[in-house]
Amino acid sequence: MSTDDESFHPLGQEWETELEGMLDETEYDSDLGMQMAQDAMRVTKGELSEAEFHEKYHDDVMEEFDVDDRPTKEAYEQAQEEQKGTATRMLEAFDGEGEETRRDTMKKMGLGAAAVGFGAWGVTDDGPEMNLGAAQEGDEDGDGDDGTQLGMVLDLERCDGCLSCVTACSEENQLDQGVNWMYILDYEEPGEDGGRSRNRLIRPCQHCTDAPCEKVCPTTARHTRDKDGLVLTDYDVCIGCRYCQVACPYGVNYFQWDEPDVSTDEIEEMHSDMDGDHMTSDEDRWVDSRAPRGTMSKCTMCPTRQDGHMGDEMVGTTACEEACPPDAINFGDMNDPDSRPRQYLSNVVQSRAEHMIADESPNREDVEEAYAFLDGEIELLDMQYLDGDWDRSEIEGVMYLNDEIETADLEYLIDAEEYDSTEEAEEAAAEALREVVIAVLENEFEVGDDDDDELSEDDLETLVDAILGDASEDDVDSDDFERATDALDAVITSSEESIQDVVDRYESREITPAEVEESLLILREEEEEPWVSEAGITDEDTAQQVIESYAGDESSTFKLLEDMGTNPNVTYIGNEPGPSAEQVDGPVAYEQVGLTDNRKEVLDESTVGDTGMDLGGW
Amino acid sequence: MSTKTPTEADILRPVNNLSKKYLALFGAAGLAFGAFLVAWMYQLYVGMSVTGLSDWGSGGGVTWGLYIGAFIWWVGIAHGGIILSAAVRLLGMDRYMPVARLAELLTIAGLSAAGFYILVHMGRPDRMVTSVLGHYHITVNNSPLVWDVTVITAYFVLTATYLALTLRYDITRLRDDLPNYLEPIYKVLTLGYTEEEDQIVERMVWWLALAIIIMAPLLLHGGVIPWLFAVLPGMPAWFSAVQGPQFLTIALTSAISGVIIVAYAFRRAYDWDHIMTDDVFRGLLLWLGFFCLLFLWLQLQQNVVGLFAAPVSTEVAQEATITHPIYITAMALVFGTLAYIFAQTIRPSLFTKTRAIVAALAVLFATLIEKLIFVVEGFLHPEFEIYAATPGEYFPSAIELLSLVGTIGMVVLIFLIVSKVVPVVELHAVEHMRGDHGHGHEHEGHEDPDEAATKQEVNA
Repeated sequence: MSTDDESFHPLGQEWETELEGMLDETEYDSDLGMQMAQDAMRVTKGELSEAEFHEKYHDDVMEEFDVDDRPTKEAYEQAQEEQKGTATRMLEAFDGEGEETRRDTMKKMGLGAAAVGFGAWGVTDDGPEMNLGAAQEGDEDGDGDDGTQLGMVLDLERCDGCLSCVTACSEENQLDQGVNWMYILDYEEPGEDGGRSRNRLIRPCQHCTDAPCEKVCPTTARHTRDKDGLVLTDYDVCIGCRYCQVACPYGVNYFQWDEPDVSTDEIEEMHSDMDGDHMTSDEDRWVDSRAPRGTMSKCTMCPTRQDGHMGDEMVGTTACEEACPPDAINFGDMNDPDSRPRQYLSNVVQSRAEHMIADESPNREDVEEAYAFLDGEIELLDMQYLDGDWDRSEIEGVMYLNDEIETADLEYLIDAEEYDSTEEAEEAAAEALREVVIAVLENEFEVGDDDDDELSEDDLETLVDAILGDASEDDVDSDDFERATDALDAVITSSEESIQDVVDRYESREITPAEVEESLLILREEEEEPWVSEAGITDEDTAQQVIESYAGDESSTFKLLEDMGTNPNVTYIGNEPGPSAEQVDGPVAYEQVGLTDNRKEVLDESTVGDTGMDLGGW
Repeated sequence: MSTKTPTEADILRPVNNLSKKYLALFGAAGLAFGAFLVAWMYQLYVGMSVTGLSDWGSGGGVTWGLYIGAFIWWVGIAHGGIILSAAVRLLGMDRYMPVARLAELLTIAGLSAAGFYILVHMGRPDRMVTSVLGHYHITVNNSPLVWDVTVITAYFVLTATYLALTLRYDITRLRDDLPNYLEPIYKVLTLGYTEEEDQIVERMVWWLALAIIIMAPLLLHGGVIPWLFAVLPGMPAWFSAVQGPQFLTIALTSAISGVIIVAYAFRRAYDWDHIMTDDVFRGLLLWLGFFCLLFLWLQLQQNVVGLFAAPVSTEVAQEATITHPIYITAMALVFGTLAYIFAQTIRPSLFTKTRAIVAALAVLFATLIEKLIFVVEGFLHPEFEIYAATPGEYFPSAIELLSLVGTIGMVVLIFLIVSKVVPVVELHAVEHMRGDHGHGHEHEGHEDPDEAATKQEVNA
């Protein structure tokens, strides 16, 4: 490598000149390209931050190419901010943005490409969006303007295994016995005592964005519909090679091994009252209902409904979703943040958070009250929420002892209104006060008849008498007397401190029910300024983080076999089955509801020369 | 060892003689093939449910079974056959010239059987042209199955060209002794022949051989066919980078075995002891031993990786494989063959032609059942093995088993028919053996003048 030339490029001046020549041949500004490349090199050396790099050239890039797909400084900073959140992983996974390292790598690859000039070179072939644009690749799977992608959010905690969805699917699509496009299974993890919450899986087709079944199909019969991302099979094109079934890691495909039980004529007749025939889609392809003999079928997510053939009210529904009694199935556009599944997914955390903070303190009102107390707008005894060691009767008792309250005003030590005369009230108050003082002193001193105790029972009585003025101060040890009065004063001060503490906790952003409450209100946009003070939760991002860190663990989400790279469009809420999980009997057997679980039993009937032998069992 | 000198009459004997044994074998092979055709018609009539297959997953079965296993087996035999023939030409392994054309024919016949299996395996074979060719430009980018069809077709074309080119020389020179009723065929085959083309054809064939040798490990049994399986992460029994080399060794072992059996059959039927000498069989056997060693070595690789500290699903799949009686049988047969071959190398008296045939049959059987269990095992132990019905059940149905008999019958028929039309031993081979040193013995470093001249031109 040359060190004596002036080149910024690690491969030296000669190489740099060559690249510059390449740039000159393009219709774009070579000086800008070289300058960007030089600065990109500085980024890789850490002399310039990525954000600064992006900011620096934004105007130039816009001028030159009319588009700047590179992450802007704002976007960059926002991404950094998001990364700080500790509990944001769940939503990130859902948004497809949980791959920060990959994105970062991509960005750096983009910069690296710029550094060797290849990014700018790419301009000639691919237009500006490819230029330096490797940096953007990580955003491909993000949400936003990708169009509709139908999919599901399945709440495994809600599924009760009733098989209503399986039955509904089978009826909607006239499926043969054992063709369970929708499948529900209970499973056990090895070595588990069953103490964990339920292990159940809802298994429709995952309608993957990168569907391996589609990739391997030799005919394009298995295809993704442009308009809504459904992965469908064109029964008119399929040659029945079954490679899709082989490539799918989920086992959702069902081949039509023989003539289906219900004929196409029958299906057509059944749906004579609606627009289509429940087989042909708007694209004029035969993709719905059971497959004809010799072709492959699987869960379709009801294209007939989505195409509006069953009426507008059925658009955006599936047969299984409609049939599910506990609403565990949420079908809709996974790219639309306002869609049912997306809303459900965000609301799952919110509703769980809401459930968790019910009757918990300190809530938002408690914090408000604490502020009011500190501002002198409210008296100690009027506080609804007191988090200290002493309750109102004790506080009032001490105040009464200090002559800060009239007998007639007593509410907690005694209820003065319950007494007919002042004398009776005073008598009762004195009795109650005595108990309060005893309680406070017993808390302060070690009382008992053992030698190492500080006070005997008698001494305590005498001390109490002295404090209440029933005995002379001279009858007791002066140190004890002083300590006792301090302890009584502390009842008030510690209570006041506990209120200060509520405010301190709030301002230090400790996540208490108050913060969760604020966050929920912010996210639901129910109140414009739900926060008690500016020190609380005031923006949506933080609110989201608060909710997730408070309730996020309670509803982990996952996508099935995500490491297969299929980009499934079904998101699960609940426990993910481990690699050794094994299906067990569910609460309702398939046979109980007129279905068949294991299709082999049905197919064996027409096998020619079924020996009953089994290679799998050897 | 025979002392006869190979003559044109020797290699013309199959074309011009018709024996009762021939007719009997033709009848048996035709019956086998015909029986399966009927069975296939029944399968088309009823549906694929006549097989022992089912859906994997909740469906409790395997999606692909004997049809695909046998498909791979035939493709393996076919690929290996042409590789052998190409190696003879390319590397000047003249000793094997007498079996080169048989190996080429084995490729044609094996590919035909494999192609037939593709049709038999499909739910809607009638759509092969419209659905596959109609979308070829889109699917060829993605689908290993389309790569597969492409490469098999390319291979068939290459081999057929290869065969057709080399036949021109023979037919022209032997025309007078060939039956007249086949005149139209010979006319087409020798269309526009001139003696000047001999050298050009020789060179073309050399390049074809080179293409075949290069394609073999990259695309054929070392590539496309294993990639059908090796690229699928959902099936840990298949998902492995060693699949390509493994398939190639299986192809080569089964192909050499196939050539041994075919060559022996012809030698016996037409008294070709002096053409397909013991020396050829000893040589083929040694190659078989070498490829058996590679075969076992690659199996070892997969087992060690899959069993030592593999991910859960891989270990489950590999454990199931290595403990499966079929897999153990296959490995034992190959190992036994290997042991015999090495033993007879050390002690030549252990060699007999019968033992060579037994070794070849053992390897062919081993590779067939290994392929069967390979395909099935993928479905029995997928990554997502949560289903109660997984591992599923499978045993080939009577129709599936009949397909084996049928395709073997088909391959035999092809050999029987072709041997009645053209010489199955090259005229070149006869000329070569007759050359300076008559009895089929070949001395290292010694080339006959023609051969040397050709080589110089090729090099130029």
